Amino acid sequence: MGERLALTSRLCRINSDVCADDVIVAFAYDLPREGYGTVDGFVAVTTDRVYVYEDDRLLADYNAADVTEYIFTNGVGCVFAECVADGVHVMLCRASMSHKDTISSIIWQLSRRLERGTYSYAYEEDTDVKCPTCGRRYPPGSHVCPHCTAKKGYFKRIWEIAKPYKMFIFCSVLLYIVSAALQLLPAYLNKIMIDDYIKAEGALELSKSADFIIGFVGVVLSLLGVNIITRAVGMLRGVTLIEAGTRMMVSLRSLVFGKIQQLSVAKISKRTAGELMNRVTDDTNQLQNFIMNDIGGFFEQILIFFAVSIIIIRYDWRLAALILIPVPLVLVANRLFHQYMHRIFHRQWVMNSRANTILHDIFSGIRVVKAFGMERREMERYDKATLDECNAQIKAETFFAKFSPPMSFLMGLGEFFLLFYVGTKILNKEMTLGDMQLFTTYVSIIYGPLRWLSNFPRRYERTMTSVVKIFDIIDEDVDVADKDNARELDIVGKIEFEDVSFGYDSGSNVLHNINLTVEPGDFVGIVGRSGVGKSTLINLVMRLYDVDDGTIKIDGVDIRDISQSSLRSQIGVVLQETFLFSGTVYENIAYAKPSATRDEVLAAAKLAGAHSFIMKMPDAYNTRVGERGHTLSGGERQRIAIARALLHDPRILILDEATASLDTETEKQIQDALQILSRNRTTLAIAHRLSTLRNATKLIVLDKGTVAEVGTHDELMRRRGIYYGLVMAQRQMSKMSR
Amino acid sequence: MSELKKTALSDVVSITYITRDNAEFRREGDFLSLRVTLPVGVGPDGEPTGGEKYYERIYLHRSFPYEHPYEYISVLDRDSAEIGIISDINDFPENIADMLKSELDRKYYAPVIDKILSVKERYGYSYWEVISDGRKLSFNMRDTFRNILKVTPEHVFLNDSDSNRYEIKDTEKLDRKSYKRIELYL
Repeated sequence: MGERLALTSRLCRINSDVCADDVIVAFAYDLPREGYGTVDGFVAVTTDRVYVYEDDRLLADYNAADVTEYIFTNGVGCVFAECVADGVHVMLCRASMSHKDTISSIIWQLSRRLERGTYSYAYEEDTDVKCPTCGRRYPPGSHVCPHCTAKKGYFKRIWEIAKPYKMFIFCSVLLYIVSAALQLLPAYLNKIMIDDYIKAEGALELSKSADFIIGFVGVVLSLLGVNIITRAVGMLRGVTLIEAGTRMMVSLRSLVFGKIQQLSVAKISKRTAGELMNRVTDDTNQLQNFIMNDIGGFFEQILIFFAVSIIIIRYDWRLAALILIPVPLVLVANRLFHQYMHRIFHRQWVMNSRANTILHDIFSGIRVVKAFGMERREMERYDKATLDECNAQIKAETFFAKFSPPMSFLMGLGEFFLLFYVGTKILNKEMTLGDMQLFTTYVSIIYGPLRWLSNFPRRYERTMTSVVKIFDIIDEDVDVADKDNARELDIVGKIEFEDVSFGYDSGSNVLHNINLTVEPGDFVGIVGRSGVGKSTLINLVMRLYDVDDGTIKIDGVDIRDISQSSLRSQIGVVLQETFLFSGTVYENIAYAKPSATRDEVLAAAKLAGAHSFIMKMPDAYNTRVGERGHTLSGGERQRIAIARALLHDPRILILDEATASLDTETEKQIQDALQILSRNRTTLAIAHRLSTLRNATKLIVLDKGTVAEVGTHDELMRRRGIYYGLVMAQRQMSKMSR
Repeated sequence: MSELKKTALSDVVSITYITRDNAEFRREGDFLSLRVTLPVGVGPDGEPTGGEKYYERIYLHRSFPYEHPYEYISVLDRDSAEIGIISDINDFPENIADMLKSELDRKYYAPVIDKILSVKERYGYSYWEVISDGRKLSFNMRDTFRNILKVTPEHVFLNDSDSNRYEIKDTEKLDRKSYKRIELYL
């Protein structure tokens, strides 16, 4: 809305003839009409004119009354807004993809306005897609800017998730701190042992006194005690972390997974299965690890570093300086080294995954490879990929082998300084052997936290990346959502489409102004060429997507007012490709109705014509199917799907090319089963083979996204329209194949 | 023994070619129209096809957008039905060829990156600042690796999070600093 108002006032400023109230809509564009570059332009549609301005110069204007059509066209990497003015196609503007959603919605509304005289600004909510702070676009479907959401914001939200485990986290941090303190103790005890007992002046004499012996034994026992406590703390910490960590991971995973399940098919299919799996498993893992291990570890390392530094500085600041001087050098070297290492190892990882992808590809398609005799070529392809990986590996490992020792040397350099310095001091009797022991231990300790801390930013970064990705999903707007007052409805079976329009992608409508009524108990066949929107139509009935415009009603109720679980529990679907979950045949049939009895499952299978082939298998209903299970043929899978739908006993049955992939005989059997299934319920069936729809009470012919013909087979044949053409073509085909 | 006659694909399927002899492209308004005369035949649904036809607005689409930008151009009508294919735009008279080329260039928009000023990664997004055609452009990419399309190892396209495209014609020809910035992703 902001953009429209801003452009309207800009238009009124440039052109004093225009009154703001007359402006229907105004939208910005950024590309010149030809060639490359950027412009600052806008199109404004008023009640009587259409203006195109570029850099505040009027490029074109048309009489609104002459415009008969507004058209949105996708380019490649750009989009176009056009109109037909006075019968001529003219370009209103060209814009980058960043403007796509806005422009397509506006053009769509302008077209509606030509048709019906109405204009709705509802889209403005959806197309406000830019972060008001940085101007960057939100990730698709989200209204949270990953760039601007302050880290603080993320931390707060992570804290919300971690809160139930705060006692565990607190304990783990505490245990880390205790373990830090414990790590420093042995060195100090060793010093006492050396200075006061082993190397004590006159140790030989003293060793006879009881005090000396008690003290000595006391130190040894303390060392033992510290050791035992350290182990115990380690154990306790391990147990706490595992306990809290796994619990937290479970709740994190269920949070992400639950959210994914809420999203519409449209949103889920934008992401690959692999990507979603990463979100649920890897990213949650990363976050859990960070909270449980890295936060505690951070405190531990900081504590060790500062404690050791303070001890050394207090003892002898010159010594401390000697030890600490190489620190910045080591840090910088470490950082550079790691950055480069990260790059080359990442490269190696990419090469590795590429080789794996090729392998996966070849094995999945091995039948094609063999059938076309391409073994040799595939071998060469794989060889090349492994060679690339090998080269990347050589590069990375050689680098590591060459540069790792000097790095370690550099980090150990402090110890040499120390040895030299302390050695001279001992010779001058200014320091004891115990001091030396203490310092060498501390010096070796102090580089540990430094190394750890210098890598911490990377771990932190990686975790934040995971966190952002997790919140990306959690923040995604649920587009097909139940209303607060969504109803549970006992469906009778009347379906109405009123002016329904829909497109998967903004700017291209698959269905346009669909008006239909299906009476309860009707068997409706939906026919038309491929890609005409048949499957889309039924997807809308199932409410896998929401309509862009118009309404779909079931029994007179808008399906958006019915709860999704209520709606879908009364719709049964048999698709062309049936997906069987890994599990037994029995579980697959009972999937839609877990409470079904064994008798019901058997009856459903029998009715679907599945029982006989199931009984031919040694394990019958306990046969494992799905991935790695028994392979069933297409017809068998289909019959299981039908049994599944039969058991579900839906009020509305949807058949999407349910028998298309089967041979005629199997199809006949399944048709019979379907015939039984469709009795007393509303059925929507899509079929290319028109003979399968001979029992339909009504046929709907879709063409170019609209309903072209409606009627019974006989009516449509008499009309000699599209349906007639399709039937004739199929008859000719079957004649030819005879 | 009867002699088997080898059947070529072209005996069974014929591609409709649009040539300088059967087609007349014109610019009407801001777009192209086409008057074409095609061989008369029968379509898949038994309807007659071919003959002289006039399309007031046609669309051009590249079959091999990366390799042959001006060859194998599909000519489509408003319903995205293919009218025919232009084998090579350069076969048309120069003025027509120029008209077709500019129509294609207008539709395929991908600024060419000459220099990469900076690439910053943050939380799974990468933020780019580049120089294209003397102008500074900034954009961001999600899943950077997956959104870099390699036509050849050197010729790449970058897809930003809005689906805008940017082209690097030859990564080897980038200056050293720019190359370093993108190298990791290649």
